[in-house]
Amino acid sequence: MDFAPTPEQEILRKSVREFAEAEIRPKVQQMDETDKVPMDVLEKMAKLGFIGVMVPREYGGLGMGHIARTIVLEEVGRVSAAMANTLQITHLGISPIASDGTEDQKKKWLPVLARGEKLSTFAVTEPTGGSDVLGIQTTAKLEGDEYVINGRKCFISNSHIAGVLGILAKTGEGTKGLTVFVVQSDFPGFRPGREENKFGLRGCNTGELVFENCRVPKENVIGKEGDGLRIALSAISNVGRPGITCAALGIIRSCLEEAVRYSKQRVLYGKPISELQAVQWNLTDIYMDYEASRLLTYYSAWLRDKGERCDAENAIAKFSACEAAVRCAKKTIDIFGAYGCMRELAPQRLLRDAELLISGAGTSDIMRLVMARKALTLA
Amino acid sequence: MTTCRGVWVFAEQRDRKLMSVSVEMLGCGRKIADKLNTDLTAVLLGHNVKDLADELVAYGANKVYLADSELLTFYHSEAYATIIGELAKKHRPKIFLLGSTSTGRDLAPRVAAKLCTGLTADCVSLDVDEKGQLLQVVPAFGGNVMATVICPEHRPQMATVRPGVMRTPTIVEGRHGEVVKIPVDLKREDLNIKILDVITEAPRVAPIETADVVIAGGWGVGSIDNWRLIEELARSMGAAVGATRPPVDEKWASEDQLIGQSGKTVRPRLYIGIAISGAMQHLVGVQDSKVLVAINRDPNAPIFKTADFGIVADFREFVPTLVEQITKLRSTKDTS
Amino acid sequence: MPPVNSIVCVKPVPDPRYWSELALDPATKTLRREGIPVVLNPLDRHALEEALRIKETFGGTVTAISMAPLTATDSLREAIAIGADDAVLLSDKSFAGADTLATAYVLAAAIKKLGRFDLILCGNQSLDGGTGQVGPEIAEFLGVPHVAYVRKIDLPEQGIARVERGLEYGYMVVEARMPLVLSVVKEINVPRHVSLMRISEAMQAEVRVWASRDLDVDSSRIGLSGSPTQVADLFIPETKRRGEMMRGAPDVVSKLLIERLRELGVL
Repeated sequence: MDFAPTPEQEILRKSVREFAEAEIRPKVQQMDETDKVPMDVLEKMAKLGFIGVMVPREYGGLGMGHIARTIVLEEVGRVSAAMANTLQITHLGISPIASDGTEDQKKKWLPVLARGEKLSTFAVTEPTGGSDVLGIQTTAKLEGDEYVINGRKCFISNSHIAGVLGILAKTGEGTKGLTVFVVQSDFPGFRPGREENKFGLRGCNTGELVFENCRVPKENVIGKEGDGLRIALSAISNVGRPGITCAALGIIRSCLEEAVRYSKQRVLYGKPISELQAVQWNLTDIYMDYEASRLLTYYSAWLRDKGERCDAENAIAKFSACEAAVRCAKKTIDIFGAYGCMRELAPQRLLRDAELLISGAGTSDIMRLVMARKALTLA
Repeated sequence: MTTCRGVWVFAEQRDRKLMSVSVEMLGCGRKIADKLNTDLTAVLLGHNVKDLADELVAYGANKVYLADSELLTFYHSEAYATIIGELAKKHRPKIFLLGSTSTGRDLAPRVAAKLCTGLTADCVSLDVDEKGQLLQVVPAFGGNVMATVICPEHRPQMATVRPGVMRTPTIVEGRHGEVVKIPVDLKREDLNIKILDVITEAPRVAPIETADVVIAGGWGVGSIDNWRLIEELARSMGAAVGATRPPVDEKWASEDQLIGQSGKTVRPRLYIGIAISGAMQHLVGVQDSKVLVAINRDPNAPIFKTADFGIVADFREFVPTLVEQITKLRSTKDTS
Repeated sequence: MPPVNSIVCVKPVPDPRYWSELALDPATKTLRREGIPVVLNPLDRHALEEALRIKETFGGTVTAISMAPLTATDSLREAIAIGADDAVLLSDKSFAGADTLATAYVLAAAIKKLGRFDLILCGNQSLDGGTGQVGPEIAEFLGVPHVAYVRKIDLPEQGIARVERGLEYGYMVVEARMPLVLSVVKEINVPRHVSLMRISEAMQAEVRVWASRDLDVDSSRIGLSGSPTQVADLFIPETKRRGEMMRGAPDVVSKLLIERLRELGVL
């Protein structure tokens, strides 16, 4: 059991951290205030390979695995959870094409997506079902060589900036009645709808997608008609959920650094508050949460890199890291006192960002359902 | 080694004016030469600079080696290093001091490598011990660590010193010294390096995060008219201007000039806080400054507890005088 | 114009964010650097960036070279990940304890062994030592010209470099025939970030390691024995603020303040 990072992983972490500090850090406050996605930063990240981390080399990606992706997202998330979420959703949009696409489909979309020429997302959630995937009502009817899609998706990140979108729609009934389609943003009948005004992860674009007789060539089906549920759940479990987890891990890391730094500087009763036990107890709680979340996150990534099915472990990591992120952010605010409530300082933003992560890629309650399936087999 | 003699100082001139640091080196060199019971020699290169030789003697040089040629008008690394290297090989001084200017920091290592000898940069103090060894104290790691360096066997022992670190010696009238003209055999065609142009520019003010000197103003500045004094002082020093929260709120300064917990962290060599009380939110942004100066009317202002130099004064009276002194200093010293 | 081959001298230095953790060994009077993360000297990043830009314009190769402990292979891989074509590490117990002269001597010997080069680029000074001496000393040992404080490089015709050399209040335009050594300042460019695309390549690249026996060097001129200067004492200065209050008439106090600041080398 070797827990040490390889030299390659160390250079990867160092490089992403350096980029995040130089290019993302200056934009964080502005992202939170304006809720605008800094497209120039996304472009830079794309050129350096952040988007194509797991895309195979022959399609223009880095051909790296889940652990490498975790490092990239953790380091981006440490500076901006919103940016990490934007990035990880892009990975999620790419993954069905990479996992279940035909050679032609891969050649058509993967290089373009890996280079960041177009961004991506994966749309499942609708007003009638998010946690309840089978409750979605967007339909796709085959008419000749095209499917005609009608419906609305909501709470989709990258809704207004994605050019190549993975969509889950009903082609029948029941568990074999769902299909994944690739919709390009210039297809007739597709348009982004309202943009949401979120209280956290601001600077990550989240909104509605509207399909009004949207015509999609049948070549754009990923896998076969009816494969949709399997493909979607696999992508969400192995790419979407871990993506959120990494953003949460970045938040916890940020909480730890902010809380320690502040408590060493803040002098009360004649000494830094870091010397007060009560503050130390808070700091150690954050530290424990960080170490635990880190281990769970990297362990599940290691399992995925080995090719093992690990939905339960992915769920444990997501649940733990996201709930821990909220806890740690609150503790950080407590350590900062009134300063923790000021919009100019980080702690309040960390709390707002963390809370948003809980409902992404499966709420904590859904995570428990996934875990339960495994837990019940353990005796 | 026993055949080595003399303390040498590189007399840097620009536009036919002696650089202040060279004069300071003469003062320092004179003290060392006296301790070692040996001569102080100045090495002067330039074009039409003979008058400076007399000035060098007045400041304490027993001898001046003068190389005068059009090729030497401006600092030319190849020409200067060749001439000085040959001179040093011939006359074998014990010690050779240069000012740590853009010239000195370039010339000294080239000469040191020619002579295969030791060189220490940016010394903050120089002295000789009983054995005649030059004790060179230098900062490392940005000043977080100090080292005393010696050059036990190689000669000359070379060192550069920053301007202003040593005191300016007084001129002694009636001093006598020998001016020795050095023939310059170099021809333009022999030189690989060609100087095409020399352009003077007002120094660019670095952004606040990387500026060497930062002047910051606080709530006590009082008005946008008064804020001009802060800006004037900064201009006179080529410094960046920073602010605490209140001046930014009042729009005397912009958001990107905010220094502190919710603004920028700066690490300048010199920070001057004017009419700033010293609340923690601001101080965390400046605590790594090498030298911290505080100017405040209130003797109980917390900032004085964390300052290197504290001046209890109304900045409206103090700052104009400071600006005047600095401007005077700048104009009489090295503007080229 | 034919391709331009560059050699970039890089130095791994302790990460300034961790300098407060540098411990002084009172017995040996040396700094304990183990466990302190290193970074590539920032000005060397600018030198590497300039070399890469020159390569992108004219073609040619960029080789990174460093004299450092064996652990520096990571830093050299970083240089390759940034874009260098290859890297050479000069590492040997006998190189240890070198001052700038002995360091420049070894680097020059390695550069001679590498053979063809048009430009040697260095950062103007390192973050830790900050002497700025190694570049000019390498040039002297190679018998080539050097220009320091370089803030702009143009290659107007084959074999000629035209550069802007910064002064305190302006700059010089200087021209010289290649090969030569150029020490660059940060104003010259904005260094690119490490591209994740190159990390795998960099990890698999061969970093050649040369010891003293691989170089044509005189053992009396390398390492501690080849260093004319020696550290007689090392100490961490008191970081307490002086707390010196100055009182008096404005012109008296301002004169005094200026004097004290100049003495400290900050004005």
